[in-house]
Amino acid sequence: MAIKHIVLSVAAAPVSLITAKYAIYLAKALQAKITAIYVVNEKVLQELLKSRIFVEVEARDYERDLEEQGGLFLERIKKMAESKGVECSCMLLKGGIHEEVVNKTRELGADILVMGELKELLSRKEVFYDEGERIFRESPCPVVVVKNPAEVEKLYKELI
Amino acid sequence: MKISDYLQKENCITDLKASTKQEAIIEIADKLYSCGKVIDKERFIHDVLRREELGSTGIGHKVAIPHSPTEGVGGFVIGFGRSIGGIDFDSIDADKVNLIFLMGTNPGELGLYLRLLAKLSKLLNDENFRRELIAAENADEAVSIFKRYEM
Repeated sequence: MAIKHIVLSVAAAPVSLITAKYAIYLAKALQAKITAIYVVNEKVLQELLKSRIFVEVEARDYERDLEEQGGLFLERIKKMAESKGVECSCMLLKGGIHEEVVNKTRELGADILVMGELKELLSRKEVFYDEGERIFRESPCPVVVVKNPAEVEKLYKELI
Repeated sequence: MKISDYLQKENCITDLKASTKQEAIIEIADKLYSCGKVIDKERFIHDVLRREELGSTGIGHKVAIPHSPTEGVGGFVIGFGRSIGGIDFDSIDADKVNLIFLMGTNPGELGLYLRLLAKLSKLLNDENFRRELIAAENADEAVSIFKRYEM
């Protein structure tokens, strides 16, 4: 099976840059293209509205801010990929994180899904509710979980 | 990612002196500031109080979660205050509030902040959890209760 399309799942957090760098490294090595996905977590905003911790106007503000942060982050990843000669398209989605990532990965027919390191699970509940864990388990294609940031930085720097 | 990763006994006040919403927010913010969790206390308090103007964060069941993204903090912060006698927080159920969680985040870390807010909200839906926190003897016990319920 040739690996020609890599889906990269990112959050707008610095740690996701490491994930992105590894995806770019893989894509370059395999001559594959990347689709980077960021999901605005609308589900959590709805939960917070329902529990009355948020008011409507506040939830809208957060949604707008998350969208803006996600957009900027995706733009940065696209530039990083292009600087290494890797084709990268970006998708900003809204909804529940694992549902959106898994569905879009399936829809795109991706060959590999690259995601950040899974956190240590301290309870059985987390296996069912942690978004990363669910992406990992429900992905329709093989998943690469990026580890060892120092090594990733080294590989990325060596890329021409 | 758990609340108890961020809530230390140093950030807890189990016998708030405050008698109003504003005083409670200031008292907990003072505590967070004295622990070095807050960079700009006035900014933090201002942003949280401005958020309260949109609508009370007294969510019922004797709980309030005043919160705001703010440049007054460097990352995610949470402080806990318990008022034995209860404080009027304009809560949706009009009841006084005993458990107050003051939360803030730097605007650059919204994703984590929202997930932790949702997590706290789920924990507080549990009546036993609330009852145990109200009855906690001290800050150590309050933190232990969090750890136990988050396992």
